[in-house]
Amino acid sequence: MSVLRHSRRFVRALHTSNATVNPEEIAHFSRLSSQWWDHQGEFSFLHKMNPVRVQFIRDKLLEIAREENDDLDIQPTHVLRDLDVLDVGCGGGLLSESLARLGARTHGIDASESNISIAKVHASADPKLSPPSPLLSYEHTSAESLLTSPKRYDVVCSMEVLEHVDNPASFLSTCATLVKPGGHLFLSTISRTPLAYALTIFLAEDVLRKVSSGTHTYSKFIKPNELIEFFQNYRDPSSSQNKDSISIPWIRTNGTYLPRTQAEVRGLIYNPFQARWHLAARDASGATDCNYLFWVRKPALKSSDGPAAS
Amino acid sequence: MLLLANQCCRRLNAFNCAGVWRRRLSTVDNTKINHEDCDIVIVGGGPAGLALAAALGSSPSLRRNLSITLVEGGDLRKAEGWAQIPGSFSNRVSSLTNTSQSFLNRVGVWDHIDKGRTCGIDEMQVWDGISGARIAFSASELDLEKLELGMARLTENFNLQRGLLRRLKDIPEVRLLQRTKVKSIVQDAGEHGQWPLVYLENDRVLRARLLIGADGFNSPVRAYANIPSFGWSYDTQAIVATMTHPPRGAFEGPNTTAYQRFLPTGPIAFLPLSPTVSSLVWSTKPQLSAALLACEPPVLASMINAAFRLPELSVRYLHTRILEAQSSGTPITPSEIQQEILWREQSHSIDQHSIYASANAAATIGMPLEGSEAVPPLVTTLQPGTVASFPLRFNHAEAYIGEGLGARTALVGDAAHTVHPLAGQGLNMGLGDVESLVRCIENAFLLGGDIGSHTSLLPYAQERYLENHILMATIDKLHKIYSTDLQPIVWARSVGLEVLNELDSLKAAIMLTAGSRADNAQRTSATAWNIASKGVETLVAAADASKVLAGGLQNLLSTKLQGLLNTERAPGQQKRV
Repeated sequence: MSVLRHSRRFVRALHTSNATVNPEEIAHFSRLSSQWWDHQGEFSFLHKMNPVRVQFIRDKLLEIAREENDDLDIQPTHVLRDLDVLDVGCGGGLLSESLARLGARTHGIDASESNISIAKVHASADPKLSPPSPLLSYEHTSAESLLTSPKRYDVVCSMEVLEHVDNPASFLSTCATLVKPGGHLFLSTISRTPLAYALTIFLAEDVLRKVSSGTHTYSKFIKPNELIEFFQNYRDPSSSQNKDSISIPWIRTNGTYLPRTQAEVRGLIYNPFQARWHLAARDASGATDCNYLFWVRKPALKSSDGPAAS
Repeated sequence: MLLLANQCCRRLNAFNCAGVWRRRLSTVDNTKINHEDCDIVIVGGGPAGLALAAALGSSPSLRRNLSITLVEGGDLRKAEGWAQIPGSFSNRVSSLTNTSQSFLNRVGVWDHIDKGRTCGIDEMQVWDGISGARIAFSASELDLEKLELGMARLTENFNLQRGLLRRLKDIPEVRLLQRTKVKSIVQDAGEHGQWPLVYLENDRVLRARLLIGADGFNSPVRAYANIPSFGWSYDTQAIVATMTHPPRGAFEGPNTTAYQRFLPTGPIAFLPLSPTVSSLVWSTKPQLSAALLACEPPVLASMINAAFRLPELSVRYLHTRILEAQSSGTPITPSEIQQEILWREQSHSIDQHSIYASANAAATIGMPLEGSEAVPPLVTTLQPGTVASFPLRFNHAEAYIGEGLGARTALVGDAAHTVHPLAGQGLNMGLGDVESLVRCIENAFLLGGDIGSHTSLLPYAQERYLENHILMATIDKLHKIYSTDLQPIVWARSVGLEVLNELDSLKAAIMLTAGSRADNAQRTSATAWNIASKGVETLVAAADASKVLAGGLQNLLSTKLQGLLNTERAPGQQKRV
């Protein structure tokens, strides 16, 4: 099968000049790529997690759209229509397909060539996602390579990727750069806590063997506060060249308080009895100790969304 | 739990020949086929399939964004143009629980049902044929917001089906392909991802994102999805008929009480449709059913009256008498059976004016007798052409959604489960499936999910499978417990029933199971069936206790009981379909 052939080509997948793609990680996922669309296999947890991720993205965009447009009639299913969305590390295209179905012009990229071919083949079976539909496209490339093109996106997502990259800070600023001013960055990852170790590595990989051993590396997990801190200090490197833009951080508060319109952290909780993921309540304590979702918004060009906090 | 009803939703024949159905292992390269892409293809235009189409079409987001097609082999125009002269009723009726009614109301179907032809049930009387132990359920004991709802509503299946078709007329987005048989279902070629291709008789091919089997007990969709089902035939035939009788007297209640008597041969149920018309569902041994159907209708009418009134011993004697006459080639005549019944009544010292006398129907006209509401009105005639029978079975698919090579499939209604009609739950279970599946599809759709995927459909299976299973197992065990005349078990179950009668809260729980609550009874009904099944277990435990009393009978009884309750595990009886 072509999948196997592709998986041997992972070495070539690394030709791009990117500092964050980890060759071993790519090799790992290339080996598993044929299983992306087996809903009960290796990636069953991700399949079940996917609706909750989409719900978080959709509802957050809806919340902001309603906030800004005073238009309370926006339908949840319409909020993604005609947005340019980049899915970094799209894997087999689980998230990309869903976002495209909701009407977003979705571009999925992955550093593994076999992932991209799986994603393409899978989408080609779906008459609503395959050409002539312009909604979904895939490309075997890295986020860093996209920086050279001027194209920027309304929404950049990178789900369950951050814990697999080298140099997360560099990866985050790459993603941040790819977001249009006023656009959105969605991330999901795993926190670096004993609980996360127990659930995602010890239980899922070693005991239950639901996930292949070696999928996760504890030291690469990232705590929500580290992300918050990153965006409290982050400055858009291009803003210094742009007179209109004041170089303001994406999160303009100190400490752990997050203004609802600037950033949000939500825990993702797996209920083994229902075999379902749930989005934890906003302030549920301890909910972000394992899997969590993160959203942050790039300040608009003209700082129309309020003065920067001192 | 003992809600009575006639659950004989006739499955419209979607397929000409079951033999055509086989799973083709080879896949088909879809590039060579000129197919139509469909998001949802429903196979089967029975009540469950039509309700599914109507419910999907009633969701604005699904209606506007998904292409929905229903394929039915039969001619639905018959059901659509169904009209019956006032006073006459079809023999196929179902009890719609309040949960089912409120669902039909939400999807805009209830307005299209001729309510004048339906009958609300205010009370149920259920008793043991041997011991006479009796329980009564009434709507007034239910915590209903609207008392006029009653406990359930008896509706002719045609009335429901016509209402569903009328509702679908309002939804042009849902495509109805009737008089179109499905030739075969095969899997689309490999690279294009295991989507089912539905070949129609007219050479059209539908490529389905989600293929839903509402295609009855011999479900071809289930065969395509390679979902095994387990079950067995009860050695039982259900006789149905539309019965006419005099109206209840001025001092009696209206004809809104359903009656069910558990005879060792199976339960006999009397289900009111109008003041003077009621429907019969009589589950009995196939031999007896054949003999009764071969007799002149007045014989059956007399036997129905006797079956609700005479002691079990005499009912059994009359059965033997009918079978003997049948095998000797001279079926019993109406006057002979009258004589037999009269003689049995006299031998039991039943006064000719007692409510338990039926030999001389004229004698009871006049002032209602004391306690006349303990038995149904005396049947005078059976409407011509309404006497029929069908076999009863238990069957449950091992899964409600397909996986692997049979992915993108889901089963609803009789394709997923067939149950004994004694609790009147078959159609309601099917409507419950429909409601749950539509909610599941809608949730997946709103989150950009692929509605045919296993992940999207999983909540449907999670929500319905166990709930249906508990309900089905309880009904099955009830049937088995009541189908014996073994003394200690009779004693135990009569105690069981009378204990139930005293425990109002437990009774209310059991009644809830019948979906009597109009609001979302989803959660409560699951709990209620748990309680009901516990009740049945208590019954079994009581039977176990009676073992001790029965002393020497102990071993015999425990063997019998185990055999009775575990027949589903006996290899000889288990049948994989």
